[in-house]
Amino acid sequence: METDHNIALSVKNLKTYFYTNNRCNRAVNGVSFDIEKGKTLCIVGESGCGKSVTASTIMQLLPRLSRIEEGSITYHSDAGDIDIENLERNGQKMRAIRGSEIAMIFQDPMTALNPVYTIGFQIGESLKYHTDLTRKQIRDKTIDLLRDMGISLPEQRIDEYPHQYSGGMRQRAMIAMAMSCNPKILIADEPTTALDVTIQAQIFELMDRLKEKHNTAIMLITHDMGVVAELADDVAVMYMGNIVEAGTIDEVLRTPTHPYTRALLDSIPVLGEGKNQIIEPIPGSTPDPYQRPKGCQFAPRCTHYSEQCDIMPAETQISETHRIMCWKYQEFATNGK
Amino acid sequence: MLTYVIRRILILIPMLLIISFLVYWGLELTPGDAVSHLINPEAAGRMSAEQLNDLRESYGLNKSFIERYGIWLINVLQGNFGHSLAGGVPIADIFLDRLPATLELSFVALFFSTVMGSILGTISALKRGSAVDSGLTVVGMLGVSIPELFFGLVALLIFALELGWLPVGGRLLPSYTSYWDHVPNIVLPALVLSLMMTAGVMRYSRSSMLDALSREFITTARSKGLPEWRINLLHGFRVALTPVVVLIGFRLPVLIGGTVIIEQVFQWPGIGNEFISSVRGADYPLVMMIALFSVFAVLLASLIIDVLTALIDPRVRLS
Repeated sequence: METDHNIALSVKNLKTYFYTNNRCNRAVNGVSFDIEKGKTLCIVGESGCGKSVTASTIMQLLPRLSRIEEGSITYHSDAGDIDIENLERNGQKMRAIRGSEIAMIFQDPMTALNPVYTIGFQIGESLKYHTDLTRKQIRDKTIDLLRDMGISLPEQRIDEYPHQYSGGMRQRAMIAMAMSCNPKILIADEPTTALDVTIQAQIFELMDRLKEKHNTAIMLITHDMGVVAELADDVAVMYMGNIVEAGTIDEVLRTPTHPYTRALLDSIPVLGEGKNQIIEPIPGSTPDPYQRPKGCQFAPRCTHYSEQCDIMPAETQISETHRIMCWKYQEFATNGK
Repeated sequence: MLTYVIRRILILIPMLLIISFLVYWGLELTPGDAVSHLINPEAAGRMSAEQLNDLRESYGLNKSFIERYGIWLINVLQGNFGHSLAGGVPIADIFLDRLPATLELSFVALFFSTVMGSILGTISALKRGSAVDSGLTVVGMLGVSIPELFFGLVALLIFALELGWLPVGGRLLPSYTSYWDHVPNIVLPALVLSLMMTAGVMRYSRSSMLDALSREFITTARSKGLPEWRINLLHGFRVALTPVVVLIGFRLPVLIGGTVIIEQVFQWPGIGNEFISSVRGADYPLVMMIALFSVFAVLLASLIIDVLTALIDPRVRLS
């Protein structure tokens, strides 16, 4: 199969559950997607829908009281497929993948960097564990990385501490750290939420450039539809631990089919339409994860609810790349905007 | 950094002056004076008021409080610390004689409590929720809440009297030929003195370590594929260290106060022992010097802690 060579990571029916006080939170409840080399997959959804947990699951960075219940995460490495879900959490094989094959950048660069070590030390750590470079080579490479990320005076900045960096520069340093070993996959968990808008644009531009240059697959978690429109090749919309709709950017943004996706798009103000535009908030709030609706998770908030929705809908493929979890997809697919 | 240290040392001078005045004043407010302690009440009863007055005059006790403080201060500034009123021994000699014993005891206790406290606390944090953690928590609570005096007596009873493993007290005995011969003598007092502080440091480093391990940079470190020991020690412990160092600094005065009690229990010939007898005897010059020395030690310790904090945490700038 031609396309398979381009897939960097495939996730199949992944379920990650959290356990607290004998209760179980099905944070990720059967999620499947592929990340292609050199492409950006955006995962969007409200807070608490399982976006970040999906990312942590791929990196096996889950908290102690949680585990992968079912499903598979297959990393298609150059040396053959690796089933990440079978690896020991902090075992040697998992550690060899982390930072080297799959790297991650986090939401808040203020707290994600260790305050007592220099930026150079923290970037060098990755290189030290994943390459055979000497100390001198590591330093040179780190300086090159910082320069690549657009940090001026890297020879000087390498020995500075995170608190001497601005927010945007810290995120650049984080990206330098993540890109240091040329990972096949970069997972970015809301990388610009903590930064201001002009810096956001620069960071995304940088990520896009690195993607082109190194053919990296990017999994970008965000709740900003503008970012999605700008960067994504593929989109997956998550709600309460499921991907309710997924497809290419055109399919999802131009012909949104799931009522949740449509509601999400309707709730965003459009720049330039003036103050009279109608913004429709989604009624209600996300359900308590311990008292989930019986069937379709979105049913209680959905304007198209019918009895059928009390049973969980299965995933339906409406085109080769576009899939959706809704009983009434035909209705929407034809009536779609 | 250097200018900061120099400035801090210069600030010590007015502080010591103010504190010395306060201590002198405090002594003035206590009932009785050196004469009433030197001469037993029976003898004093037989002496005439004039004789007593002459005696006071000879010690300079009849001068006004401010005058006496002035004389004392001028003498001290000239390097003359005076003589003990009780024995007539020069105070400098008493210090030379007693200080090494106290410093030795404090440093051994400080070293032990710092090392043991932070190691046990770190283990406790890393094994959070395990039997080891619960056990250490109970021991820690006991250590923090039971006074040293009690521990001292119990330790004497068990290890010195019942089991006979360690000597009951004292420091350098005439039979000792080498400096190291008295190591068994220091074990009990140092252990007991450090117990409370070990427990405190342990509890504190546990929570500090747990706090550090829950921070986001730990996840970042893990996402780089670093081994667990490096995450725990280089990223966790290193960050957890700063508050622990500050705590140890705050505890130093407690340690110095603790030696007074422990030296009594174990008959350790240190400054603390001398302090108690000098206060009882209203031996002003000696009390003053010991008090000033303690104050100086505490102030110096806090300066050292500040410098240490700046060295281990790059965010701290001394200015």
